[in-house]
Amino acid sequence: MSFYLSFGSFRIPAYGCFIVLGVVTANLIALHPLKRYRLDGNDFLITEAYLFLGAFLGAKLLYLAVHFSSIDWSQLTDFSYLNQVMQGGFVFYGGLAGGLTLLLVPLKLHHIDIFLYIRHFIFLIPWIHAWGRIGCHLAGCCYGRPWQGAMAVIYPAASLAPSGVALFPVQLTEAVGLLIIAGGVFWLDIRKGYRHTVASYLLFYSIWRFILEYFRDDAARGSFWIFSTSQWLSIGLLIGTIAYLYQKQ
Amino acid sequence: MGIASLILGILSLLIGLLSMGFLGWLGAFLGVIGIILGALGRKDYEMRGMATAGLVVSIIGLIIGLLLYMACAALLGGLGELVDLRL
Repeated sequence: MSFYLSFGSFRIPAYGCFIVLGVVTANLIALHPLKRYRLDGNDFLITEAYLFLGAFLGAKLLYLAVHFSSIDWSQLTDFSYLNQVMQGGFVFYGGLAGGLTLLLVPLKLHHIDIFLYIRHFIFLIPWIHAWGRIGCHLAGCCYGRPWQGAMAVIYPAASLAPSGVALFPVQLTEAVGLLIIAGGVFWLDIRKGYRHTVASYLLFYSIWRFILEYFRDDAARGSFWIFSTSQWLSIGLLIGTIAYLYQKQ
Repeated sequence: MGIASLILGILSLLIGLLSMGFLGWLGAFLGVIGIILGALGRKDYEMRGMATAGLVVSIIGLIIGLLLYMACAALLGGLGELVDLRL
């Protein structure tokens, strides 16, 4: 495990490398539904780019909200400090909310039927997310709690996780779950023609994330009362999704 | 839109390469906007070539920006707390 992947004398951050692998493979996989449903490749790219832009902004905003008290807001006009803030982390749920919200722009401004694209391509979000989690595992961020059971991982001194301590491989566990969710949602769409693929994804991921939060131990996450921020968001998402599906039945 | 996409794509590429990821977030941001403009420009048949070039350069700029910059949740934020950067 290493924060960087080395290719001879050239080193690149593992997380960035795996995110790029996830995005590239997702776009290759997307060719299948694009051809099958005879969708427009340009509209797909526009929708994807807006989703990405919204995800970037949303994930950063929620990260800043969680770390509100530790940020010197008066210094944000200083470019070096702003850059330092922008180099910080992201919160996935903020990205999900921001990405889906910004999809209103291609809907209203470019008149793209985004619902059709979301329905057929939502499985690519857990796919890319899974690759990101593998990158987390290599970098040592978002690490698990101390664990003496099977599959425990011990990080070296140069990693972001506590070194020399046996930890639960929560990033890899989440990645496996995400790949299963991606495969399941893809199967529901392609094989069963199920319309509520977005709700299915949100339902499965919120449950999975809620459970996995008990196995995470990284300190840089907010919490309130008995649950972490992500667990509260998972509960809200789960209730909202079930209510939506109940209404549609 | 094709020309704007090409300009943003080149800027994205240059920022990603010259800053070696330090300003990668800005490069990625410009790359995404370049992709949107490029894909929109490709719908105009007369400007399709320029828009395609802008789209390709923007995608490369985005990939380089992501490769060199992307940090995961709490990654550098966690480091910032460790060294008291007031982040």
